[in-house]
Amino acid sequence: MRHAGFTWHDGALLAQGLGVSLGLFAGTFLIGLVLGSGAAVVRHFRVPALSPILHAGLELLRNSPVLVQLFLVFFGIPALIHQPLAPLSAAGLTLSANTAAFVYFIAVAGLDAVGRDQVEAARTFGFTRMQVVRHILAPQAAAFAVAPLVGLAVNQLQVTSLVSVIGVMDLTKAGDILNLRTLRPFAVWTMVGALYFAAAKTLTLLGNRWERRLRAHAAPLEL
Amino acid sequence: MIAVEGVVKRFGAQTVLDGVSLAVAPGEVVTILGSSGSGKSTLIRCINGLERLDGGRITVDGLDVADPRQLAQARRLSATVFQLFNLYPHMTVLRNVTLAPEVVLKRPRAEVEAEAQALLASVGLAGKADAYPAQLSGGQRQRVGICRALAMNPRYLLLDEVTSALDPEMTAEVLAILGRLAGRQMGDGGTTMLFVTHEVEFARRISTRIVFLDQGRLIVDLPTARFFADDGGLAHPRIRQFLSKMAPSNTVAGAEVTV
Repeated sequence: MRHAGFTWHDGALLAQGLGVSLGLFAGTFLIGLVLGSGAAVVRHFRVPALSPILHAGLELLRNSPVLVQLFLVFFGIPALIHQPLAPLSAAGLTLSANTAAFVYFIAVAGLDAVGRDQVEAARTFGFTRMQVVRHILAPQAAAFAVAPLVGLAVNQLQVTSLVSVIGVMDLTKAGDILNLRTLRPFAVWTMVGALYFAAAKTLTLLGNRWERRLRAHAAPLEL
Repeated sequence: MIAVEGVVKRFGAQTVLDGVSLAVAPGEVVTILGSSGSGKSTLIRCINGLERLDGGRITVDGLDVADPRQLAQARRLSATVFQLFNLYPHMTVLRNVTLAPEVVLKRPRAEVEAEAQALLASVGLAGKADAYPAQLSGGQRQRVGICRALAMNPRYLLLDEVTSALDPEMTAEVLAILGRLAGRQMGDGGTTMLFVTHEVEFARRISTRIVFLDQGRLIVDLPTARFFADDGGLAHPRIRQFLSKMAPSNTVAGAEVTV
């Protein structure tokens, strides 16, 4: 077997993999954010039937390994519907739902953390419950939730590496291919790790800036 | 007219309001006196629909507050000022005042903001429009609370121990504003005030009528002068006892009432 050295083509392979990882992360995190927050609002209104069902489902998702969920979706759903599921679709579905579960519990805690007295005041001024959520609860819950959400985002970015096992061509899969060709695992996985680190660190910095901005309005300095 | 008819409110085994009846007509300034735990605040919370009644009926201009649709209408007629201010901490002072007129009454922002600025200026907060509640003193916060209520142009102003969380100096500044409001309203059919307070001397100066709650029962309902007459309210031993205990503090607020 020929031990090839690194070529410019390898850089393109890694860049492509990084693109897939970041795209998958951004897409699934956004969907998870919307679904998880939506579920938290459903719980806030104590919608009969829907609220407990969502809660139970999201609790299951939060308390089982992502890899197991990924296998269940990638191998389990095709077996049920007798239709193959593309790796990227399976990955997108799993990570969106999994993120939604974690966002849900963060959003619920955020909503619960807002003082009841303001809600009462708004109610006496004639705000509907939806208007209270929109103008009073959501902005403050977002400020409470932003720190745990940034933590979650960094974690979910790393978790995308799991999708390589079902054949998605993400950064980890690109590293795997590169490693098999060059047989230089230390160099390859150091590079891959550094790329994940750079992405996660950038995310943290952006998140911190967002947090400062949100908190500046939500909790100005106490006198 | 706010009409409270035989209202009963229980928290668990405890009966907080035990058949309370009270009518507040337009133009009146009615003060509810009574010791802590007598049900004063609960009565206000029943009128603005924050508590569900266990008996009796409350209507605001004929709208039954037990009915969700009618309550939504009734809430546009009254506005509440709270003991602990209950401001929205994530919004500026100006936004605190303009939010409800804009969102609930659907009034144009520019118009509401101009009114709010004028209201804030009238209570000495012209320079604080862009501050956040946490950057204000207690007295300033409560003045914002009053502006927030007045911005709704309410027919009825409900004031729930609005100075109880303030020190004497701040109490005086808030009472001065309320005194001015009450004075302006007396007789012209403007904002009617229902007032829960411990400031007896102040209540005496601005109220047209005083009612006394004792352990969930409304035991006296008299015009102010009669309430403080020896053969009126003072003839009642429970009220005499209450007022004697209030004596050390009933001259606290040197608020000027300019009618």
